[in-house]
Amino acid sequence: MSGDVPLLSMRGITKRFQAVEALVDVDLDVHAHEIVALVGDNGAGKSTLAKMISGVMAPDTGLIEIDGEQVTIPSATAARALGIATVFQDLALCENLDVTSNLFLGRELRSGPARDDGRMELIARQVLRDLNSRIPSVRSPLSTLSKGQRQSVAIARTLIGSPRLVVLDEPTASLSVGHTAEVLVHIERLRDLGLGVLLISHNMNDVRAVADRIVVLRHGRNNGEFDAATVSHEVILAAITGATASEVESGPLSTLLRR
Amino acid sequence: MSRRAAAAGSQSSLREANRLLVVETVKRYGGLTQVELATATGLSQATVSTIVRELLAAGVVDTANTTRSGRRAQMVTLARRVGLAVGVHVGHRSMRVVLGDFTHEVIAEQSLPLPSGHRADTSLDRVALLVVDLLERVGATLDDVVGLGVGVPVPVDSSTGMVSVAGLMPGWDDVHVGQVLSKRLGLPVYVDNDANLGAIAESTLGAAREHDDSLYVRVSHGVGAGIVIGGHVHRGAGGTAGAIGHLPVEFPGEPCRCGNDGCLDTVVGAQALLGRLRNSHGVLALRDVVQRTNDGDQRCAQVVAEAGTAIGRVVAGLGVAVNPQVVVVGGELADTGEVLLRPLREAARRKVRLNPFVPLEVVAAALGSRAEVIGALALALRSTDVPLRVDTDEDVDAAAGTA
Repeated sequence: MSGDVPLLSMRGITKRFQAVEALVDVDLDVHAHEIVALVGDNGAGKSTLAKMISGVMAPDTGLIEIDGEQVTIPSATAARALGIATVFQDLALCENLDVTSNLFLGRELRSGPARDDGRMELIARQVLRDLNSRIPSVRSPLSTLSKGQRQSVAIARTLIGSPRLVVLDEPTASLSVGHTAEVLVHIERLRDLGLGVLLISHNMNDVRAVADRIVVLRHGRNNGEFDAATVSHEVILAAITGATASEVESGPLSTLLRR
Repeated sequence: MSRRAAAAGSQSSLREANRLLVVETVKRYGGLTQVELATATGLSQATVSTIVRELLAAGVVDTANTTRSGRRAQMVTLARRVGLAVGVHVGHRSMRVVLGDFTHEVIAEQSLPLPSGHRADTSLDRVALLVVDLLERVGATLDDVVGLGVGVPVPVDSSTGMVSVAGLMPGWDDVHVGQVLSKRLGLPVYVDNDANLGAIAESTLGAAREHDDSLYVRVSHGVGAGIVIGGHVHRGAGGTAGAIGHLPVEFPGEPCRCGNDGCLDTVVGAQALLGRLRNSHGVLALRDVVQRTNDGDQRCAQVVAEAGTAIGRVVAGLGVAVNPQVVVVGGELADTGEVLLRPLREAARRKVRLNPFVPLEVVAAALGSRAEVIGALALALRSTDVPLRVDTDEDVDAAAGTA
């Protein structure tokens, strides 16, 4: 996996908002069939980077490549055309519509002049089945679903239009353990289907449970990249907070971290 | 559910198929309303309503009043005749929790990926929360639960319910798993090694059901075996019977977590297998190896087959000691089927030639990757003093438990 061309490659990404350095010279790669977790403190630049990938914001300088080809992503539509799907923190779903309508929102299938409801329901069922989702009916209005089920719908929506890269911004924030479990299983499923996944999260447990690689941002800069299967909790925390290795091992922090 | 033979295509066979569809759907979702059932199955409301009434009369399902978007609705669940039990399997990289009733029927289930080297405090907290979450999902409470069976991938001392070999699972050594969970949930908790639980499940409900003496070999992140003699799981004085992952097979070998060198786990454990594939395939997860092997990847298949041979040699030794009628192979890697099984079988048989008329059978687990968690469920159920209505459970062995 390490040898082939990354699905997404970002090099030297920089973004400034007046005096605020949101991102400085940031590099990021995501391969197909890989979950990359992007972690960092509040304001470390995680969401800004995600917005650039999904076409909401453009970098001041830096290169973005998809499959080794340089691209610009000026809009959300452009991102979608490149095979990038994003689930933002506010899921942007419609309470009054049913599951199928939410999945196809703005991308309704047509047969002639009319909406092709039958085909949309069929695809909706199939996508939910691909994810092993527990949403019983594609006709349930969103307002009847739990928080976790809504997150499932939002993830399922990314699969409409067969994307290759899925960006998830804090998908498990404020979910119960049961719902977190469902969402994490969905995320693994996306990877096993061959997609690249960029997972942005604060929860170190969730991140280390599903990610293949963990990329740490600190004050808008790259501050370490780790193999998720072998790295310890403490080392990632140190990279996020800026504690140096010697402090982690012997300093006052060590007692805190061991607790 | 009784299944009468009916002519294909007839009215009654259609009805039967629909009934089965409804039951399967309820089972899959744990519990759902009649309206949801209709959309999930594609049957009409009237058909669903009729079938649910029939199933209710037959004692297959229960119904309860609930509300959905402000309207009254009928929640349909599988009947829980006497009570519920919980089975938990905590592995190295994931945990699985199931709710089941006294028919060993699983009525709700959830797995959760876990970080490598996960800690006991966080993970046991998640177990407790997941149990409560699953109960909520089927409209039950902790009062409906008779007990909790927990499997861990390390040897367990059956008298204390504690991990009996230090160092195998960092952060779990001094944790009284049974006590932590029973205090938290107010339930009796029974803890055992996961290979033993797989052995319980396969010998009572699975591939070794017909046999008195069998071995269950679990091939996952590590290797372990459960030994069944005369229908009882043999755990040994310290609970380490069957811990074949820590049998030395290489001299001198790689250091093992247990403190020795050259253990079977250092040769066929996940780390060893993934390490062997790193140069050609990069960083993989264990389930990638299974998936790629099944997709026809030669290199992955070769690594799995080599593991099969190495495990088979050790199983041969165990086979000589126990002389089982059958060896059941489970765990994640068993999902590669004959790729793992054939070399394992050949290596085991090459060494065991005691009786040429009764060759050592080596078969895949009938319960698949769920064997361990079903075994945990069975352990909780058989440890509970309720008249069982299950047929195969007289050969209950005393459970390793802490109340």
